[in-house]
This record gives sequence, structure tokens and C-alpha cells, in this order.
Amino acid sequence: MPTATNTDSTRSVQALIDLVSTPSVSGNEAAAVRVFVDHAERLGLEASVDEAGNGLALRNATGVETRRIVLFGHIDTVPGELAVEVIDGVLHGRGAVDAKGPLAAFLMAASDLTVPDGVAIEVIAAVGEETTDSPGAHFIRERRAPAACIIGEPSGWDGVTIGYKGRLLVKAEFRKEWSHTAGADPSAADTLHAWWSSVLNAIEELQPDPSTTRLFDRVQTTIQSSITSNDGLIESAGMTSGFRLPLEISPAQLESTIRSLTPQTIDLRFTGHTEAYKTKRSDPVVRSLSTAIRAEGGTPHPKLKTGTADFNVVGPAWDCPIAAYGPGDSALDHTPQERIDLDEYQRSIRILTRAIESLADELAMHEPQVGQSAEFRCAERLSRRPGR
Amino acid sequence: MTSSTQSNQETIQAPCPECEAPVAFSRSPLYGEITECAACECELEVTNRSPIRLELAPEVEEDWGE
Repeated sequence: MPTATNTDSTRSVQALIDLVSTPSVSGNEAAAVRVFVDHAERLGLEASVDEAGNGLALRNATGVETRRIVLFGHIDTVPGELAVEVIDGVLHGRGAVDAKGPLAAFLMAASDLTVPDGVAIEVIAAVGEETTDSPGAHFIRERRAPAACIIGEPSGWDGVTIGYKGRLLVKAEFRKEWSHTAGADPSAADTLHAWWSSVLNAIEELQPDPSTTRLFDRVQTTIQSSITSNDGLIESAGMTSGFRLPLEISPAQLESTIRSLTPQTIDLRFTGHTEAYKTKRSDPVVRSLSTAIRAEGGTPHPKLKTGTADFNVVGPAWDCPIAAYGPGDSALDHTPQERIDLDEYQRSIRILTRAIESLADELAMHEPQVGQSAEFRCAERLSRRPGR
Repeated sequence: MTSSTQSNQETIQAPCPECEAPVAFSRSPLYGEITECAACECELEVTNRSPIRLELAPEVEEDWGE
């Protein structure tokens, strides 16, 4: 395992190296969660593990807690272990970008910053984000909404992510008695491909704006896998397809559309229902991050992502000021080239520290409303309801 | 980039850098605040508070990442 060598940044770099060096493929995150808890405690945070296996690290408020800012990262990774090494100031390893870099940056910022009385900061290391069920985020979202939330995903040090598309997956299968290919009957694959063509035609009619080329505003389709088999008696054809959805089309709407054009002989199984979610550019979290990026000498780049994240899970449930932020190039997510520049990582910690401090100050200026004084609620809901 | 201010009628406004229409605020805007010009619908960012300076907000980019 590599060790940090620059004395100014030893603590923060070592936390990141330790997290990346501990494998945490979805479903097997316990060892990495222990590393997260150990580092959190060493940084003076109150650390624990919840019933879902999520790591929690709390910077308690001074005085009575009236508001909480949640820094929501995830600790699991996709499979594919990579050698962990630092080469020319760049840390290579699975999860370096997605999303242990952002998670470690959250931990360091939470321990470094100064916030007004009454504001608590909580870092969450959620499990299972890379699965279609996202169990860690679904467990957490049942809690009371925080005053504000930053999701830990790579946006680049000068990027701020304001929205993620929705998603739906469908597994389709058609089986029939085998017939000779010289005969008149279509094969199972012919039937399934004809069905897929009808799905594509229906989707073109569903496109909210057929003229737009912006992917965020279009339904995207991908055949993720297809298979045929024939045992001499029964032939079958199957395919798994994925849909990336714009704000205007819900997974339920698309499922209904597809079911309506599918003959009963084709078996369908839908999974991964996730609604698209977008916050406003005027959101206080977006503004505080953008302002901090400018203070660090950059120009903020607001981004819309065509993938999904825990942003989609907690954003609609909490309806609080929210954005996603973190160091690293998301084009390296899930790839064998996954790596993160340590200077960028350090810079993102400074930006997070500054952004959270200004956000906390802004929250503290607003007195909780009568009937809304329960802890963690956003005073006066600083932003209007995020645009959909 | 353009700027202006607060009149005697306590109207806080500044001209839009795109179309020069007045962009009004109900309160003193925050640094970094994003607002929209009602006339030309372009998104503007407050880059100075006193006097108020408005610039075109950065374009929203797309990224395929999770």
C-alpha cells in the first residue's frame, strides 16, 4: 500500500489512499466502511455504522442543533480491482474517482471547516450505489430532510452537477417451438427484434422535443445484452435494454407505453425505476460551490449528467437545496484507467470547505419557521422547489 | 458585463448585458446568484454586488458520467 509523502497533505492523502486500497465492491463494503470510521474518529468526528451498513461521520453542532448539512458520498465501487499506486502525483486505483475521492474530500472538509452555532455537518459513506437498488441511499432517505445536501460524485474541481437523468431497465424474453429456418415462421429472434423496433418507434413519438440534440432532454436507448438459444425443441430470444430518461418522462410512463405495445407472448421484467431529477441553478448549494470555485481561481462549469446517482434517490425525497460535487474526471468512472490527480483532490477540499462555510452562514441567517423548527429542516426552504 | 444600482425608489436593478433591459431584484442580490432576464430569457450571474454587475452565466454542459 502506498503512503503519502507530502507533509502538508499527508493526512488527507493518506485517508484517500487507505480508502482506495480497501476493496469495496457493492455488497462487500464492510472493510472499507471500517476504514472510513477509523479516519473519521481520528479527525474528531463522531462515527458509526447504520443498519444498512452505511458509514456515518458527524461533526456535532455547537449548541443545539437546528440545521444539518449532509455530505452524501458512496463507498462502494464496481468490480475490477486495480493496482493502487501514486505515480507523478496521481493516485491510481478502483474507486479513486467514483467515488472515494469525493468521499475523502468530504471527510477532510467536514473536519477542517468552521460553522456557526447550531449547524451540524454529516458525512455519509453510502453502500450499494453502483447497484440498481441503491440500498444505502434508500435507507438514508427515510430520515428527516437535511437543510442542504451535497452528493459526492466526480464533477471535476471546477464543475457543479445540477441534474441526473432517470433510468429504466427491461429484460424481454420470447420462447416458441422450434421451426426450421427454411420455413415461413419467423424465428424467436425475428419476433423479438420486431418488438424492439416497435419500442424504438414508440420512443421517438415520446421524445419531449424531437428536434433537440441535448442528450439530457432525450430518451436514450441501449441494448445491453442479447442472447438466443435452441435445444432442438424450444428456441428462445432474450435481450436486456436500458433507457435513460429526461425529466418529462417517468419510468412508470415508459413501462406503461412498452407494455401497451407488447404481445402477451413476450415476457417483460422491468427493474431500476429511477426518476430524473434536476435542481435549479439558483439553488444555494450550487451558488456556494460556484462562488468557492471562483475564489479558487476557476470558472464554474454547471453540468447535467446522463447517468444516475444517489442524487436521484434523495433529491426528490428531501426536496432541499442540493448539488453534486467532487474531484476527478467522470469519464474514468468504471474504467481500468481510474485515477485521480492529488492536487485536484486537495483543491476540491479547499472549495468544499469554503462552500460549506458560506452555506452554513447563509442557513444560520434564517430563523427556523414556526412549525418547521424540527432539527435539520431548512429554514424557509432557502431555495424554491427544484425545477422538474 | 454591465452594472448599475439602486435608485431613490429603492429599485435594485442592473441592465442585462445581452439586451440592456433592466433586471430587477426584490432584495440585494447575493454574489454568485443566478437570475434570468425577463426580456431576453438569458441566464445571468451576479459577479459584483455593489455596484451590481451582471454577466452571462456559464453554459450548462453535458456529461455522461454516473
